[in-house]
Amino acid sequence: MIWLLQAYLIASVVSGMLAGDSFSWTQPEISGFLVLGFTKVVLSYLSDKKAAEVADAIQDDLRREIIGLEASATGASFSFGAGATAALLIEKVALLRPYLLRYFPARIRTMVVPVVIVFIAFYYSWAVGVILLITGPLIPLFMALIGWAAQNASEQQMQEVSTMNDLLVDRVSGLVDIRLLNASRRVLSDFEIHAEELRIRTMAVLRIAFLSSTVLELFAAIGVALVAVFLGFSLLGEINFGSTGAPVTAFEVVWLLLLAPEFYQPLRDLSAAWHDRASAAAVAQDIHNWRDQVRAEIVRPTGRDGGAFLGLRARSLSVRRGEAVLKFPDIDIPDGSSVAIMGPSGSGKTTFLKAMVGLVELCSGELRSGDVVLSQTTIEIWRSRIGWMPQAPSFLNETLRYNVAFDETADIWPSLKVAKVDGVVSRLPDQDRTYLGENGAGLSGGEARRIMLARAVFASPQILIADEPTADLDRETANLIVESLNMLKRSGVTVIVATHDEVLARQMDQLIRIGGAE
Amino acid sequence: MKDLFALFRLMLRLRRKSMLQGAVLTIVVLIAGVGLLGLSGWFITAAAAAGLAGVGATFDVFRPSAGVRMLALGRTVARYGERLTTHDATLRVLSAFRVQLLNGILGSEFSEQVKLRGAQALNRLVADVDALDNIPLRLILPVAAAISTTLITFLMLWWLTDFWIALPITFGMITGGLLVSFIGMLRSLSHSAAEEETGQSLRAHLVDVIRSRDDLIIYGQIETQKIRLLEQLNEFHFHRRKIDKIDRQTGAFLSLLLTVLTTYALWAGYQFAIEGVFSPALSALGIFATLGLFEAIAPLRRSATEMGRMVVAAARVRPNLIQKAPLASVQDLRIEVVTPLFQAHAGESIALVGPSGSGKSTLLNQIAGLIPAETVTVGGMSPAFIDEVELRNVVGFVPQRIRLFSGTLRDNLSLGVENVSDQELKKVLQLLKLGTLLQERDALDLKLDIHASGLSGGQARRVALGRALLRKPKILLLDEPTEGLDQFMSLEIMQNIRDYLPDSLIIYATHSAEEAQWAHRIVKIQEN
Repeated sequence: MIWLLQAYLIASVVSGMLAGDSFSWTQPEISGFLVLGFTKVVLSYLSDKKAAEVADAIQDDLRREIIGLEASATGASFSFGAGATAALLIEKVALLRPYLLRYFPARIRTMVVPVVIVFIAFYYSWAVGVILLITGPLIPLFMALIGWAAQNASEQQMQEVSTMNDLLVDRVSGLVDIRLLNASRRVLSDFEIHAEELRIRTMAVLRIAFLSSTVLELFAAIGVALVAVFLGFSLLGEINFGSTGAPVTAFEVVWLLLLAPEFYQPLRDLSAAWHDRASAAAVAQDIHNWRDQVRAEIVRPTGRDGGAFLGLRARSLSVRRGEAVLKFPDIDIPDGSSVAIMGPSGSGKTTFLKAMVGLVELCSGELRSGDVVLSQTTIEIWRSRIGWMPQAPSFLNETLRYNVAFDETADIWPSLKVAKVDGVVSRLPDQDRTYLGENGAGLSGGEARRIMLARAVFASPQILIADEPTADLDRETANLIVESLNMLKRSGVTVIVATHDEVLARQMDQLIRIGGAE
Repeated sequence: MKDLFALFRLMLRLRRKSMLQGAVLTIVVLIAGVGLLGLSGWFITAAAAAGLAGVGATFDVFRPSAGVRMLALGRTVARYGERLTTHDATLRVLSAFRVQLLNGILGSEFSEQVKLRGAQALNRLVADVDALDNIPLRLILPVAAAISTTLITFLMLWWLTDFWIALPITFGMITGGLLVSFIGMLRSLSHSAAEEETGQSLRAHLVDVIRSRDDLIIYGQIETQKIRLLEQLNEFHFHRRKIDKIDRQTGAFLSLLLTVLTTYALWAGYQFAIEGVFSPALSALGIFATLGLFEAIAPLRRSATEMGRMVVAAARVRPNLIQKAPLASVQDLRIEVVTPLFQAHAGESIALVGPSGSGKSTLLNQIAGLIPAETVTVGGMSPAFIDEVELRNVVGFVPQRIRLFSGTLRDNLSLGVENVSDQELKKVLQLLKLGTLLQERDALDLKLDIHASGLSGGQARRVALGRALLRKPKILLLDEPTEGLDQFMSLEIMQNIRDYLPDSLIIYATHSAEEAQWAHRIVKIQEN
């Protein structure tokens, strides 16, 4: 708005030059121009700051929500891989920013500035006003038409970003497999297709954005040119119509000419912001999908709390796995006893164990430990008493010590000793401060598994749940593990293992066989 | 900085023509913009002067007005062309970079491959490469365009008006603009780099947490991890806010520069007009040119605050864009191992036995050329010196740890082979005792989801075994191939593998005495 006044001053100086006025008359105007310029800078700085604060707050909330939900005790998401979620957190939320910063200010400016300029134009020359009125509204109209296409293109681009990220995370975790199968070229060409697809879709978004801004610029340029030519002829006296009241003066003409681009500018800003809005809408859709996806509701909030945890009892448990429903036998595990769960590959041993710690959603049934029914309110306490040994070891990007104790200052050597892995760790380059790969690279499969056992031991559990604890181990080492498990059992720990290992199974107090699906 | 320009040279080499086109068009756009404002301003002022002097009839209106329209249209069209060419060229280069980077990762050392985390790869191939699009689009092109536009405007103004109008405006604009942006760059450099770093570590950490979520939940660690993530987020946003502030200040100083220079143009033009050095029309030209020139300077604001990101990303990307040289090829299929000394020939089956940690897996990795060793030769050559593709075509290896990929069962099985029939896939599944899989589910179209949870651990291992068998390797290395299966099934599967590959050399590591007996020969591995 200040520019209106600045333009006014430029116009009066220029007309002053034409009239050959004295310097004393224009000096206030020149300094006025300077003052207005400073004011404009300060004001726009403050408004930018305000807009940035709002955008910061919104982005912060969204990112907190994503982290909060992903890093909480809910089930895994099925449609969003880790890569896509990471992209959502960083890149996609960042795409909201231009929209938040530009769209609303642009909308407000559009509602004020052009209106004022049209009034000024009509005041001096109705013809200029008419030119502006006719060309102006074409801009929002055109913009709305293009908005649809833009949003569609943006959504496809977002989709491809997710796909490419997930593909990458997936393939990179199996680099060695790819290499051994000589599938590098295949994987590379797959990836190339996606990278190219992303480029094409990004370009599609940009193309629409560029095209629309070009067309709008064209409208604006033609509008300005019409105004300029009209005013030029009026000044020359070749055109005698179109002015309101007296014939136009040089001052009016210069002012109007400077204002004409400003009439279109807010409209053009708004249409640029429309594209930001389109990509923001696509991100919003993505966030919506992310929020909406089915997450397993871990343990249903039923039953009463309180009482002591003693052993474990399962009644008519069943869980959904893909299309099928897995049913598990009823079991009673007395406190301090040991159980082996056996069954053919694919019979659901791992799922059964996960159900016991509340990591899969139950279709039916009840889990009870002593007097306590496992529910959302009790599961935290229940878990705090469990030592867990997963089938596939996984390591955080932290030291081995942290991976065992979740504490950088703890002494993990006693636990390593129980798991018979202290010798191995002491031979590592940085001992228990070594960083391992995400699946335990740097150790053999059996060693990584024993680190997982050490982690379980460190938690000084009441119940130890182990998924295939002796897989990948030769008999000799497996026997050591069995010995560790027996030792834990003797110290009062309830031991539950899923295993194929007959030797291990025979050592347990109870043997439960589970069958196939259905 | 060095990496930054090196990468730009690389981009230029890949897409020289479009980059140059883009640069030329950018300059055309900016000059047309300056010209448009200047010319139309001059036209109006001159027309007014002519009108006042009463010479309207003789004033040439057509050429200037045609010029105005031509410049306006030309500018718009040139801008469209410029944006399309530069963005298209840049995106193409980036896409090529991504592929090249992944190629580098696929061909890197085994020891690096196993340590590479998925999230790191995301950072390298996605985030870093994304940051690079700024190099041509926000750094080189805008700066080059700003400087050349200023120069041309200076010459035009000098020629049309006076040195003392032209020089302060143009040089004030360019030096002031560059100085303000440069200061902004220096101030934001560390924040911008830190924002990129924290963003990447946040991304990596989130991926880490999602992957280990089950374990973290059970051990009650998920809250701690969440707090850590939120701390990183705060840091990330802290840097963003700093950068934003510097960006706003840079913008403010640039507008201030514009205000001051326009005021000068106004004053100087007025002086010249009053003194009658030249016409008011020409005097006004300076004002309009100043306004037009600012369009070339304004984009420098973005260049300033993006610099840190670019520098960080460029330093990481460039070293990984180097290609490797191919190696020799395999002559015959004899394997020689020095410790323990043994030779193996086609058609044989050899069982490697020994306690856990004695080096069975290491030996298999050495034969497969994943771990360099001087004590192992394949066909008289160290596997490390054999061409990768050739070696893989001869040696098949199913390590202890396998990974299946998201996609269908068919995709997974046929990963290493071209054009394989469903018949063949089913046959392999049958002989690996995965026939039940075929009956119970939608056969080969079974989708293994992103967590590969459609199969049990044992089934997944056998799918990986099938994946290797389908490649019909001359040498097949298996590390605990039947782990988790009962005795009877293990031996049956071993026999099926032998029947499927009657002439191949099979070497497998096992800890089961019965399974070892199945081999022609048993080699004991001692811990050294």
